[in-house]
Amino acid sequence: MQRIQVSLKVNGKKYRLETPPNRTLLEVLREDLGLTGAKDGCSSGECGACTVLLDGRAVNSCLVLIGSADGHSIETVEGLQKAGMPHPLQKAFVEKGAVQCGFCTPGMLMAAKALLDQNPKPDEEQIRTALAGNLCRCTGYTKIIDAVQEAAKELRYE
Amino acid sequence: MQSFNYLAPHSQNELCQVLCNTAGKIIAGGTDMLPQMRNLKQTPSTLIDISHISDLRYIQESEDEVLIGALTTWSDILESPLIQKTAPALAQAASLVGAPMTRNRGTIGGNLGNASPAADSLPPLLTLDAIVHLNSQSGQRQVPLRNFLTGPGTTDLKADEYIQQVSYKKVALPFGNVFNKLGPRQGMTISIASVAVLLALDANGKITLARIALGAVAPTAVRCPDAEAFLLGKEPSTELWQEAAHQVRKAIAPIDDVRGTQEYRHHIAGILTRRALQTAYLSLQE
Repeated sequence: MQRIQVSLKVNGKKYRLETPPNRTLLEVLREDLGLTGAKDGCSSGECGACTVLLDGRAVNSCLVLIGSADGHSIETVEGLQKAGMPHPLQKAFVEKGAVQCGFCTPGMLMAAKALLDQNPKPDEEQIRTALAGNLCRCTGYTKIIDAVQEAAKELRYE
Repeated sequence: MQSFNYLAPHSQNELCQVLCNTAGKIIAGGTDMLPQMRNLKQTPSTLIDISHISDLRYIQESEDEVLIGALTTWSDILESPLIQKTAPALAQAASLVGAPMTRNRGTIGGNLGNASPAADSLPPLLTLDAIVHLNSQSGQRQVPLRNFLTGPGTTDLKADEYIQQVSYKKVALPFGNVFNKLGPRQGMTISIASVAVLLALDANGKITLARIALGAVAPTAVRCPDAEAFLLGKEPSTELWQEAAHQVRKAIAPIDDVRGTQEYRHHIAGILTRRALQTAYLSLQE
């Protein structure tokens, strides 16, 4: 069985690993690095539960072949908190009641982070567009949008 | 996922050699290939990952042409001022491909190679008379997009070739170029039907250029030459768009599938055409 060498930077930390090529970035994050924040929902790029940032852009990590991630920089939900303090998005999700079962939350947070990194003052339409690929079966989305707006406000004051 | 032999060339030269020596399946952004591999619609014994060939990702212009590298993503396209100016329908289509995550990974070359009849890039590129540039160890080849697409999921690409870029000639301003699609929901949706139109008028308001292309209503994305010829030299009006929509309905051959019935596709293809023509016309009045 072929094995390939892959170098990744995940949440600022460098990793060098060896893996069979028929694995996704999501599998490596969860199984090899123990970063189980990103979830395996639909395995086909529909649900967004596996969303992470690759070189600052939101991607479905279930659709990134591990060899293709070689040499790239990844951010997962585990990298959001700084020194034990939650990221303003995480705080806002809790305060606004944007989390119910929580399965979609890591993907929602990362898709929202990608948006706020690019656009610090998104309107509702822009938030809905940015989160169109993240399905939530609990909240009805309204509170998630409130939370992103709240976090955007806090981030702008920083 | 099934196992496969994995090759990741880092240059076009290396890719040419790999394709010459190995029968393999190319993967670019992976947004179509990985789901297909998971449900065993694709079972490549060798996978050739071209995502590390950085010089295949560009949007460039010459005096009269725009060139888009095969690894250019939907996000690159929708954010490009050059595309917004020279191919507004393509920028619009790019903004409607999947969700941001799909647009950040999915590439224009992958969309062409995958050749889904419902691929959103195809109607806009067809209205631009786009050319697909293919490359291999034995040389380069340029194929008009409408000849490149040979059926649902099939193209004119030979086993040792790869898609290098797609190009189109700039159309003289002003022109209206609009993309319209209908899917089950607004975001993150695969087209039930889609249409792109390109329209230009002379000083007297008569139509001098009319190109209409549709997706998801025939084995490949298609142009509608009869409807286009019908529009030339005429003055825009609601009735004219209605008649063009009627011509379009005659030119297409939709099927029933999970997303919609033949009858429904027939119906909405006309409506989308009429709306797109009107929107293109209004954009010329601004």
